Amino acid sequence: MKLIKKYIPLAIVFTFGVLTLASYYVPHKVSVDYTELVSQWENIVYAFAFLLGLISLFYSHYNKIARKADGWGYSIFVFVGFLAMVIPAYISGGKQGSETGITLLGWSFRYIYNALSSTMFAVLAFYIVSTAYRSFRIKSKQAFVLFVAAFILILGKVPLGQIIWDSVLGWTKCGVSDVIEWIMSVPAVAGKRGIMIGISIGAIVTSFKIIFGIEKQYLGKD
Amino acid sequence: MLKEKLQKFFKIDRRWIFLLLAVMLFIPIMKPLGLPNKTISRDVQHSFDFMDKVPAGSFVLFSLDYDPSTRPELHPQAIAMIRHAFKKNLRVGVVTYIAGSTGLIAEIFEKVPKEYSKVYGKDYVVFPYMANPVAVMTQMASDMYGIYNKDEAGADARSLPVMQGIKNYKDMALVVEITGTAMLDYWVAYVGDKYHIPVIGGVTGISQPGYGPYLQRGQLKGLLGGMKGAAEYESLVKVPGKGTSGIDSLNLGHLLVLALISISNIILLIIKYL
Repeated sequence: MKLIKKYIPLAIVFTFGVLTLASYYVPHKVSVDYTELVSQWENIVYAFAFLLGLISLFYSHYNKIARKADGWGYSIFVFVGFLAMVIPAYISGGKQGSETGITLLGWSFRYIYNALSSTMFAVLAFYIVSTAYRSFRIKSKQAFVLFVAAFILILGKVPLGQIIWDSVLGWTKCGVSDVIEWIMSVPAVAGKRGIMIGISIGAIVTSFKIIFGIEKQYLGKD
Repeated sequence: MLKEKLQKFFKIDRRWIFLLLAVMLFIPIMKPLGLPNKTISRDVQHSFDFMDKVPAGSFVLFSLDYDPSTRPELHPQAIAMIRHAFKKNLRVGVVTYIAGSTGLIAEIFEKVPKEYSKVYGKDYVVFPYMANPVAVMTQMASDMYGIYNKDEAGADARSLPVMQGIKNYKDMALVVEITGTAMLDYWVAYVGDKYHIPVIGGVTGISQPGYGPYLQRGQLKGLLGGMKGAAEYESLVKVPGKGTSGIDSLNLGHLLVLALISISNIILLIIKYL
């Protein structure tokens, strides 16, 4: 049992991990063919992952509705939303309406999904503004530096801000776009580079740990 | 007494702030302020210049990976760049790795090609949605028809006139990625750097500062950031669109955020030293 549940998966991960890593650096036809084949396999696995995700989503929300858990009413809309997109797609069979010039799925996308998705994201703006007022407290020198940088960036992002800057600080002969360019190319890039290097080293180490079987959490508890 | 009064400002019902923002956004939509956009940022100018120098007839691959949630910022960017490509008589191919993009891509190509008398199959092609972007990007390096053997409508991609002479990245002049996700990083790491194909990006305003390292190293030839980036590109292409008209709302929205942060901190200071 240990062979099937532990050693074979570890051997598969090791083999494909090493081969895929090597194929990135080896520009030989065999390596390219291997990458193509694995890419196609990956797409097939991806399709099954989609299906699995869908079943899991439905199962979880069905349980919520069945148990009348907190907020179970919202779970109904998971099914309503899904059916609102899928049923029109099946009914129309990809045929365009003579008047609208779009398929029923296209109609659902444009007038249901489009509107709902935009609304969800737009609501964020209201929360951000409210939070900015209540929570952005300058309590330290670091917070002050952050505030000044954010202030200049926000101001410079819009024409009205540029006009205000020019009328107040125009005598300095230093435009807000010059200051933004400096902030973006020096401190922002330095910070981002540090983060990127840190993330990359972390990802490399984790990948090696998985390839060499040190990290085995993906195998589950059994 | 004054201290207590000032403290009340922090207990204000947040619905008043919501209302204030709604009014600030709504007014310019109804009555545009028409403020001039004085400057063109360096990275937008670089994007425009790069696309402008691509010889007519070259193939440009657009990867449009955004859904309606980031539409206000990214859709105008995509439209402005596709307009530029058509204006320069470039061949355009479109791919996407976000399922929610397909409807938005359809919206673009219902309208924009007609403005330049471009014909589907001859001047541009739209490929179907594909999952697993990294695998697809890797596959396209050797033979893109291994993945995209058919276009969105199911026609044989190889036989389309727009695809003549195009097999992989070596045959393309430029990749343009417009996205609200991390897809631009993938294009840079798995395609731009590895196969030496120029990449230009279009991202949301909030993720723009994160691409500084790629721009400095030349891994990105240019970058459009948010609605301002779209407005700037529209002014370079000389076709004002949603980016230009939306910038007024952005003006007031941004200034409201600054005003609220400043006011709350000034009140805090007064309370502290009172």
